[in-house]
Amino acid sequence: MRRIALSPADHRLAFAVLGVVALIPLGVRSEYWLGVLITGLYFAMLAQSWNLLAGIAGLFSMAPAAFAMVGAYTTGLLHHHLQIGPGVGVPAGAVVAAAVGFGLGRITLRLRGAYLALTTLAFSEILRLVIANSIEWTRGDLGLSVPGILGGAKVPILYLFLGVLAAYQALLLLLLRSRVGLFLLAIRDDEVGAVARGVDLVRYKTLAFTLSAAGCGVAGALFVHFLQLASPELGLILQTGLVISMVVIGGMGTATGPLVGALLVEVAAEALREVGVRHLLVFSALVILVGRFFREGLMGLLARLAPGARLVARPASDAERLA
Amino acid sequence: MLIVEIVFTGLLMGSFYALMALGLTLVFGILKIVNFAHGEFFMIGAYAYTLLVVWAGLPQVPAMLSAVALGALAGVLMERLLMRPLYTGVIGPGALRDEYAIIVTFGLSLFLINLSHQVLGPYPVKGPDLVAVSRMELFGMFVSPHRLLASGLAVLTLALIVWLIRTTVWGKRVQAVAQNRFGAAIAGIDHARVSALVLALSGGIVALSGALLSPLFHAYPDVGAFPAVKSFVVVVLGGMGSIPGSILGGLLLGVLENFGAIYISYEYRDTFGFIILMLVLLLRPQGLFGERAREV
Repeated sequence: MRRIALSPADHRLAFAVLGVVALIPLGVRSEYWLGVLITGLYFAMLAQSWNLLAGIAGLFSMAPAAFAMVGAYTTGLLHHHLQIGPGVGVPAGAVVAAAVGFGLGRITLRLRGAYLALTTLAFSEILRLVIANSIEWTRGDLGLSVPGILGGAKVPILYLFLGVLAAYQALLLLLLRSRVGLFLLAIRDDEVGAVARGVDLVRYKTLAFTLSAAGCGVAGALFVHFLQLASPELGLILQTGLVISMVVIGGMGTATGPLVGALLVEVAAEALREVGVRHLLVFSALVILVGRFFREGLMGLLARLAPGARLVARPASDAERLA
Repeated sequence: MLIVEIVFTGLLMGSFYALMALGLTLVFGILKIVNFAHGEFFMIGAYAYTLLVVWAGLPQVPAMLSAVALGALAGVLMERLLMRPLYTGVIGPGALRDEYAIIVTFGLSLFLINLSHQVLGPYPVKGPDLVAVSRMELFGMFVSPHRLLASGLAVLTLALIVWLIRTTVWGKRVQAVAQNRFGAAIAGIDHARVSALVLALSGGIVALSGALLSPLFHAYPDVGAFPAVKSFVVVVLGGMGSIPGSILGGLLLGVLENFGAIYISYEYRDTFGFIILMLVLLLRPQGLFGERAREV
C-alpha cells in the first residue's frame, strides 16, 4: 500500500508551521494580506477537519463546506432572531455542526467510496438549497449580516483564528497519538480487517465524522464574524472542491500537509488573481497531476527530499509503489 | 388532461436524463467508478454545437455531429491519460482505487469548468433551435417542436446504444469486460481499448444531450452541474451499472420531478433529486435494478 502514516516529526512540523504564521503579522502590515491570511487559516481549519475524515479515517466526504455553513448559520440565525452574540454563537455553531455530523455519520455508516461521496454531496446540496430558499428565515441568497468581532482589527482576529486552529491541531495530535488514531488508520487501510481485530467501527467512524464536522462548524462560525455576512455561498460544492484541492496538494493523511496546502493555495490564489488567471484552473490541474503522479502531495515530496527528517513513519518501498 | 400533460413533459425531459445516465452507468459498469467529470461532457457538447453555429456559421446538423465527435474524443483522452492506472495495478486495490477515481475525476471537472471560464467567459450563449417554429399544438397541449424533435433523437440514440451493446461484437466485448476484466483479458479481449470505446460512447452521447438541450439550458461553464447531478440520481435510482435501470430511472425521475414541482413546491424542485438519491443510497443502495454486491 502507498499509505503513509503520521510521524512525530510530521506533528512537530505542523506546529512549526503555525509558529511561522504567528510571526507573519510582525512583518506584514498590509490589511489586505492579513485578510488573505485569515481566509487561509479558515481554509486550513476546514482542510484539517476534512483530512481527519478523508485522509486518516478514509471516509471521502464531500460535505466540509456544508458543515462550515451549518456553523455559520447557527451563529447567524442566533444573532438575527434572538440577538445572541458570537460568544455563544460560535460554540453553538460547533455543537450544532457536530450534532449534524454525528447524524450524517450514523446514517452513512455502511457506505464507502463513491457511494459515500455521492450521499454527502447530495446532503450538502439539499442543505444549501434549503437555506437559500427559506427566505423568511434566512433571507435567502442575500445572507444574514452578523456582527464583527474584536472591533474588526485584523491582527487580533488572525491570532484568534490561529489559536483555535492550534487548539484543534493539538486535539488531533492527542487523538492520533492514542489508540484511537491507530483505529482510524486501521479502518482506512482495511475495514474488514479492523473489525475482525475488534475495532468498534460504528463508534470510531461516527467519532471521525463528529469531530470533523465540529472543526468545520467552528471555522464557519468564526469566519462569518470576520466577513460579517453569512451567505449560502459558503456551502457551494466549489468551496468543498477548494478544500479537497488544498489537502490533496499538501498531502492527504499527513498532519502538516493540509495546513501547508491551505495556506499556500490561498496565498497563491491571491497572486493568481492579480495576474488574471482563475485560481481553481491552476489548482485543479495540480490536483490531477498530484493524484496521477505523486499521490503523497507536497509532504510526500518533502519526505523524499529529506529522508533524514523522518516525516513519514513508514515510507513506501519502491516495490510497494510499483506493485 | 393536466396529469397527461405533466407525464408527457416529464417524459420529454426524462428521455434526456435517461441518455445522460446511460453514459454514466456504462462507465461505472466497465471501470466501477463514478465519473465526477460527467457533466463536463455535456458542457463540451453544448459549447461545441452553439459556438460552431453561432460563431463559425456551420449548419446545425454538422455542428451537432462535431459536438458528438468532440465529446467522444474527450472521453478517449480521459481514458488514456487518467483512467489507465485504474486497471494497470499502479493504484492498488479497493478504497485507494475509489479515492483515486474521485480525486482525479473531480479535479478534471473543476479543471474543465475553470478552463472554459478562463477562455470563453461566464456569459451563457443560447444554442440555436433545430426547428424554426417556436411552439405547436399536439393533442391540445402546447409543446416546443425543438424539444419534441430533440427527445425523439434522444430516444433513437438510446435505442441505438442498447442495440450496439446487446448485439454487436464490440457490445459483447463491453459486456464481458464489465462482468470480469481479467476473464475478458484471458479470452483475448483488449480491455483497454474497450474502456476507451465506452468512455468515447459516454462522452459522445452526453455531448449530444448538451447540444440538443443547449437552446433550453444554454452553454456556459457551469452548465454541467445539473446533468451530472441528474445522472447521479438516475444511476443510483436505477442501480449502478444497470442499463435498463438507467433508462427507466431517467424517465421516472423526469415525471417525478414534474409532479413534485407542480404539486409540492416549485422552489424546492432541485432538492427532490437529491432527496431521492440519499433515500435510495441509504435504504436500497443497489437501486431498483442493480445487483446486490458485497465488497470483500
